[in-house]
Amino acid sequence: MSTWHTPTERADAYVLGLMDEHDRRAMDAELESDPVLARAVGEARDRFLELDLVGPTVTVSADLWSRIEARLGGAGKPESAELLPPAANDNRLVRWRAIAMSAVAASALLVAALGYTTMTRLEPQVVAILMNAEGEPVVMIEDFGNDTAKVVPLIDLAVADDRSLQLWTLPSADTGPVSLGVLDGWETATVSGPDLPRPAEEQLYEITVEPLGGSPTGKPTGPIIGKGFAKAPRP
Amino acid sequence: MDMVMTKAVQSAATPVPGCQIFSNAYFPQSRLEGRRMGNDEDELGAALRACAAGDRAGLATIYRSEAARMVTIAHRILRRHDLAEEIVQEAFLQIWNKAWQYDPSRGSARGWIFAVVRSRSLNALRDGGRVDLADAESIERLQDEGADTLYTDLFDQLDTASRLRACLARLDGLRRKTVLMAYVSGYSHGEIAGRLKLPLGTAKAWIRRSLSALRECMA
Repeated sequence: MSTWHTPTERADAYVLGLMDEHDRRAMDAELESDPVLARAVGEARDRFLELDLVGPTVTVSADLWSRIEARLGGAGKPESAELLPPAANDNRLVRWRAIAMSAVAASALLVAALGYTTMTRLEPQVVAILMNAEGEPVVMIEDFGNDTAKVVPLIDLAVADDRSLQLWTLPSADTGPVSLGVLDGWETATVSGPDLPRPAEEQLYEITVEPLGGSPTGKPTGPIIGKGFAKAPRP
Repeated sequence: MDMVMTKAVQSAATPVPGCQIFSNAYFPQSRLEGRRMGNDEDELGAALRACAAGDRAGLATIYRSEAARMVTIAHRILRRHDLAEEIVQEAFLQIWNKAWQYDPSRGSARGWIFAVVRSRSLNALRDGGRVDLADAESIERLQDEGADTLYTDLFDQLDTASRLRACLARLDGLRRKTVLMAYVSGYSHGEIAGRLKLPLGTAKAWIRRSLSALRECMA
């Protein structure tokens, strides 16, 4: 049985590294989707932070930064390159064939698993209500799981002429955020994104303000308009 | 077990030719040391946002102001300078890749940055085992004695106006030490019980109640 019960108690144990592996893993998973717990962890970190700022510091090797830089590779973010939309003249056929094949295989499995009727009814696989920093619902996202999502604004919002809004989702912590599309304006719209795994419950969605035409880096760079976690509609 | 950890830490250390924007001279040692908590929290938050946007200058800012503290945190847990630097090297890559996850409503930028180092250090410790890190029992005992002084020094050096200091001061010396052993050195319940010659259940209860008292006192 676990020694830690309340969120604040668990946050302390987590930050101090006192949890056993089982509790720690459970906590890692919950932190992805539980803002109350995540905030408790942040507060616990900050409670003890001063201890890291006192006492003598060790000497850092002169080449540590160049070692870090070498690991970063060339200029720019290497992993975001994968997420950038391919150029229109991209002719790496092998890659596309592989993706097409795996998509076909995935669709076939999905049909087999769900039955044909579920697939033909256009119902969202998951729905996420995105909230702003004040906790107000800002927009509803319906992800149909066929790489299209419907965006339904729930409040009025003025967007500067030189800015675009962009919808993101986080299929897994490993892939990082993936763009589902740049919104043409603040109105109900359907966007199409890249091939993604089926949306799952608790998957994160968010909309950010980006430079006109969308993020230049392939990752969110601007302020968050709203974010929220997906829920699957119950039959 | 030591082999496993060494491999894990070093496998990622293969140099890749890259563009060297910053020379070592860019980070004179004097700037790396002795930096205390200032009002540079905004600067760190902005640096994390820059990292998320793919701007390497953001990472360089974090390195300049925090690297020495980060290596120190790892060193207090791992007690080996080479490992501490490997951990911090990995931590900077993680910060670069995960900076977009930082959410200012969930705590300070520095807390988030240091948590990356702490968590990687604790993982390395769990994978490698503390015994493997010290060459012999005698060395470990010497290091433990050094750590004893460290806990007292750190507590004494906390700002006299600090809430943490006032609240730690309310705990009796041994209970305060259990908390510092866990936080500063990354000791487990069992290690704390062993080193203080307490029954495990007692050590656990002390730590749990001390943490609870600190939360209440600092709220």
